Amino acid sequence: MKKLSNGLPLGVDPVSRFLTLKVGLLVLLATLSLAVGMVMSSVAESLQRSLSGTLTVQVPAGLEQQSATESIIEILRATPNIRDVREIPDREINEALEPWLGAQAPILDLPLPALVDVAIESGQTVDIQVLTKKLSAVAPGTVVEEHSMWLGRLMDITNTVETVSMSVMLLVLISVVITVVFSTRTWMAVNREAVEVLHLIGAHDSYIAHQFQKHTFWLWSVGAAGGFALGTSFVLLIQFYIGRLSDSFLLDLTLGDIQWAALCLLPATAIIIVIATVGFTVKSVMRSFM
Amino acid sequence: MGNLTKKDLLVAAVGDVFRFEGVSMRYRLGPEVLHDISFALPAGSFHFLTGPSGAGKSSLMRLMYLAHRPYRGSIAMFGRDVSSLPRQELATFRRRIGVVFQDFRLLEHLTALENVALPLRISGAKEVQIRDQVAELLSWVGLGEQINAKPSTLSGGEQQRVAIARAVIARPQVLLADEPTGNVDGMIATRLMHLFEELNKIGTTIVVATHNEALLERFPHSRIRIENGVLVGPRDIFDTSAETVQS
Repeated sequence: MKKLSNGLPLGVDPVSRFLTLKVGLLVLLATLSLAVGMVMSSVAESLQRSLSGTLTVQVPAGLEQQSATESIIEILRATPNIRDVREIPDREINEALEPWLGAQAPILDLPLPALVDVAIESGQTVDIQVLTKKLSAVAPGTVVEEHSMWLGRLMDITNTVETVSMSVMLLVLISVVITVVFSTRTWMAVNREAVEVLHLIGAHDSYIAHQFQKHTFWLWSVGAAGGFALGTSFVLLIQFYIGRLSDSFLLDLTLGDIQWAALCLLPATAIIIVIATVGFTVKSVMRSFM
Repeated sequence: MGNLTKKDLLVAAVGDVFRFEGVSMRYRLGPEVLHDISFALPAGSFHFLTGPSGAGKSSLMRLMYLAHRPYRGSIAMFGRDVSSLPRQELATFRRRIGVVFQDFRLLEHLTALENVALPLRISGAKEVQIRDQVAELLSWVGLGEQINAKPSTLSGGEQQRVAIARAVIARPQVLLADEPTGNVDGMIATRLMHLFEELNKIGTTIVVATHNEALLERFPHSRIRIENGVLVGPRDIFDTSAETVQS
């Protein structure tokens, strides 16, 4: 037996189908924006963690490279505020070059500089100019590379991308709220007669709001689930391709478990926002009735 | 004490169903359509509301079924001032009133059964009970074969009977009917008036707005007359200082 109607003409019409599609697209956009924002946040953190407080000293190739490197290491160890000094073995250099030069890098006999990794004491600084001058005296052409400059630029880029992504997500959610408010108000204006009759025979505002929320929940949940499924499929596809090229990337561009959990909360959050907005809008329109 | 009917006890317990004091009404910023209306209707009374077209009958009804707030004055229902009551609390009072609107106001997307069931749905009654109760009442008003018909497929008279069934299904304490016999033939009109009288016998206060002189002659109940937005009779209902005034 068909269930009795609650009184409101809440069918699935072309307008509600359009709204379902629209919310699907908005959730898709929000999913992608949030995913990009979270990846950028991880990248920034990872860069900060791995590269801050370090220097790389490059000893130019030449006949005396090995002895010059040893002298430079001694000078570095004697320099105040330096915590650790480590010569990067050839194997690591070859591994780093392999994605660009191929597996034959070790046999190419290229004039590669010797690399020395320097860790600075936490919260301390080293005068780079003075250090460079001192090291150049031992091995002319020695370069002291401070990461902070390019790290700062990279951080600026990742932070900008992160901010833009999060702003896009916020704008999408605001757009959802605006869509809900206007569609609800339009629906109530079109169906004012039915709403007024229910009101006059004793329906509380919450009864009307609840019926509308129930209808909206199912309708928009379908849209949100579809948009989210599509969005996460994109993210997984991109992760898959990045995974295949992982050796070429110094940075981890994939989402972690916590980030996936946060991403999964997005459609639920969107639906909660929609339901709350519908309730608030219906009740605010109902205030125009006595 | 032993001779008191259920209705007498109800009247004694409830007192006045409506008490208007110095009530004026206007729509938005328009001119006043009702001026300084004062009257009291005791519980269990039966009144006709009469007057020429445009006199203010429907406006007075709107105030009574709480669709409009007065511009001036106060309205008490069941002893509580409803003219300034917060709107969330008004729904409870509306559920005690059954209304037959002049234009029926049936919902076109619902069947006759669903239209009549609305007051019970709103009050949270169980669906099985609703179906039985509504089907019985629709049969009683002669629409047993049309319970699944949409209003647009019913005649004016049939729609009116659906509207009346919707107004009485939840056994309201007050029934307000705006021209309820306007679209039905004499036999149905008489039958509906008998239904109203039956409801009145069990304590329902009835107010019927009508032009129908034949009906007024045939059913001799108190007549409230309104002209140009002013109440002109009868004198007995004007006395709002008394606790209750019998019709």
